[in-house]
Amino acid sequence: MLGFLTARQAGVDDPLRLRRAESTRRVLSLKLNPDRDVDRIHGNGINTIDIEAVEGRYMLSGGADGVIVIYDLENYSRKLQYTCKAVCTVGRSSRYVHKFSVETVQWYPYDTGMFVSSSFDKTMKVWDTETLKPAEVFEFEGNVYSHHLSPIARKHSLIAVGTTDPKIQLCDLKSGSRIHVLQGHRAEILSVRWSPRYDHILATASADSKVKVWDVRRASGSLFTLDQHNGDKSKASSEAVNTAHNGRVNGLCFTGDGLYLLTTGTDDRMRLWNSATGENTLVNYGKVCNESRKRLQFTVSRGCSPEFVFVPCGSSVAVYALHTGELVTMLRGHYNNVDCCEFHPDYQELYTGGKDCNILAWVPAPRAPDVEEESKSANQAAADQSSVNPAFQDAWSSDED
Amino acid sequence: MNRKRALISDAFKVKRFRNETQKFGAVSKGDGPTDIRSTLETLMTLFPRKLFNDSLPQIVMKHQLYSIHNDKTLVDKELNKLREQGELLMFQLGFDADAFGLVFASDYKAKVLAGEDGRATRATVEKFLEKLPSLCTELSFSKDKMLKEFRFTDSEITQLVKSGVLTVRDAGSWWLSIPNSGKFTKYFIQGRKAVLNMVKKSKYSEVLKTELEERRTTSHVKFQMKYHIHDIVGAELVESIPTTSGTLLRFVDS
Repeated sequence: MLGFLTARQAGVDDPLRLRRAESTRRVLSLKLNPDRDVDRIHGNGINTIDIEAVEGRYMLSGGADGVIVIYDLENYSRKLQYTCKAVCTVGRSSRYVHKFSVETVQWYPYDTGMFVSSSFDKTMKVWDTETLKPAEVFEFEGNVYSHHLSPIARKHSLIAVGTTDPKIQLCDLKSGSRIHVLQGHRAEILSVRWSPRYDHILATASADSKVKVWDVRRASGSLFTLDQHNGDKSKASSEAVNTAHNGRVNGLCFTGDGLYLLTTGTDDRMRLWNSATGENTLVNYGKVCNESRKRLQFTVSRGCSPEFVFVPCGSSVAVYALHTGELVTMLRGHYNNVDCCEFHPDYQELYTGGKDCNILAWVPAPRAPDVEEESKSANQAAADQSSVNPAFQDAWSSDED
Repeated sequence: MNRKRALISDAFKVKRFRNETQKFGAVSKGDGPTDIRSTLETLMTLFPRKLFNDSLPQIVMKHQLYSIHNDKTLVDKELNKLREQGELLMFQLGFDADAFGLVFASDYKAKVLAGEDGRATRATVEKFLEKLPSLCTELSFSKDKMLKEFRFTDSEITQLVKSGVLTVRDAGSWWLSIPNSGKFTKYFIQGRKAVLNMVKKSKYSEVLKTELEERRTTSHVKFQMKYHIHDIVGAELVESIPTTSGTLLRFVDS
C-alpha cells in the first residue's frame, strides 16, 4: 500500500491505479459487520433496492406488501455502531400505497425529489418525495415486472416498462404520454435496462428466451437479438435459434461503462455479451442457480480492477469475477431467499434484501493493524478515556498547566 | 463457509515469503500452467475399453475437465484451440443440451474404420473421414453443407447415417456421432444415477470423495468410480467442499 502511495506521489503511477487497487481489495474483503445495520421496517419480503446516484446517501426499498421505505445510509453520529435509519415510509396506512407487491423502485437519476415505483397492482406511480404523494399514475393491463429510467439521458425522460404484455411501453415523464411502443417479443417482458453509455439504447429480456437491444429513435424493430451460439447453428436444436438462454431470461445488467451486458436465465446460466455487437463472449460462470419467476436484480461492481458480479443465488450471494468467470466467494447471511442486491460504488458496500424481511449491509472488513504498531496502539487505547475518534478530540492544551 | 485466509487482490502481492501457505483439504491442480491435453489423456485412461470390446474410441465428457481445472473459460478456450487444430472432436451426445463428448481425432478414425471392415458402406465412410480436419470444428451438418461443401450425394448421406457416423437431428440436418455409442450413453446415464443415489442416501447427503471411491459399486455402475465422480462434480450435480479430511461431496438439491 505504501508502495502505491509513493509511486503515485512520484508520478510513476497513474492516480487511478491506487484507487482501483484499493477498491478491489475492499470488495474482496466484504463481510457482515456487527456495527452496520439497516432498520427493519418491512414486514414482508423485500423485492427491490435502489441507491440514489447523486450522493449515494439515500436508499429506496420496495417490499412484497406494497410498502416503500427510504433509508439514510450516511453515518453522521460519531460512533462506530450505526443503524441506517428509515427517513420516511409509504406504509399500508397511506392512501396512495400500492395494493400489491412493489416489484421495482428507482430514484429519479438527477435528484432525490422524485422516485418511480411499479407494482403487481398493474400501476406505475411517480412519487414526490417531499409529500409522499404520487404526482402521476400510469395504469397498465398486466402486472408490471420491471421499469427503468435512463441514468444518463438529457434529451428525453422516458421510462421503459416491462409487463406481461409482449410490447414494451415507453412512458414519457414530461408529457405523460405512452404512445411509444416497442414490438418484437413474443412473451412477457421480465426485465428492461437502459444502457449507461448511450441514452437511446435499451435492452429488454423476455420469457420467450430472447434478449433484444433497441434504439428508441428508430421506427423499425430492434437493433439485434442476442444469440448464445453466436450464429453457429450447429450447436443447438433448430428451435433454439437466436435465443440468449435455454429458458426464460429474467435478469439484465450492464457493466458500469456500458460496454458489456450480463444476462441470467432460468437455465441456470449467466452470460456476458459485448453490448455493441451482441456477441456472446463465452465466459463460463458455471451453474448460477436461478429459480426466480420474476425479475432477478443483480449488480456489477464499479471502479475495481477485475470487476465483480454479485448474483443472488438461493439464500446467499455469489460473487464472480466478471471476465474470467471464476467464483470468488459466496456471501452467506440471509435466512431466506435473497431477491435483490445493490452496490454502493463510493464506499464499496453491498446491500442485499430478501424474503426474510432483512436488508443486510456487507461492508469491507477494516484493515488489521500491522504487527510493529500493535504495542503502540494498545498503549494509545489505554490512554484514551473515551472511545471517540481522535480526529474529533480537542487538541488544545488548557491554560492551567 | 469460513475462509481461513482472506482473499487478496493480485495488486497487493505479499513480498515476504510465507511458509504457512498450505491449502488444507484436496490439492487442486488448478494453479500453475494448465495443460488440458495431458488432463484429457489422464481422463481417457479411466474409460473402460474392455466393456465395449474395444469397438468404441475413448470418450471423455467436457464437464469432467471442469472438475479438475478451476477456470472454466480457460478450459473452453483450450478445447476450441485443439478442435481448430484438428486434434479433438466434440459430439453432442443427446441426453443433455450441455453434455459434450470429446474424442481424439486419431482414435475416432481408427475405431470407425475398424468397425467398417467388410461392410458395403466402407468407401463412403472413408471419404467422410478424409475431411476430418474440417469436421473437427462442427457439431452438426445441414443438408446444403453436405451437398455443396463436402460434395456428398443423397445416397451417400444415407449410407453415412446407416453406418452410424451421422445421426438425424431434424429434417435436413445431422449430428456428428460415434457409431455404436448407444450402449455408452445408456451405461453412462445409469451409472450417473446410481452414483448420485449413493451420495444422496448417505447421512446428511454428503460423503468424502476418498470414501466414495472405495465403496463397492452395484451392478448398475459399469464404469470406474473416478470417471463418474469427475462427471458429477464437473456437472455441478454435487458440491465439492474442501475439508480437513479431504474433499467432501454434498448432493445439490435443485
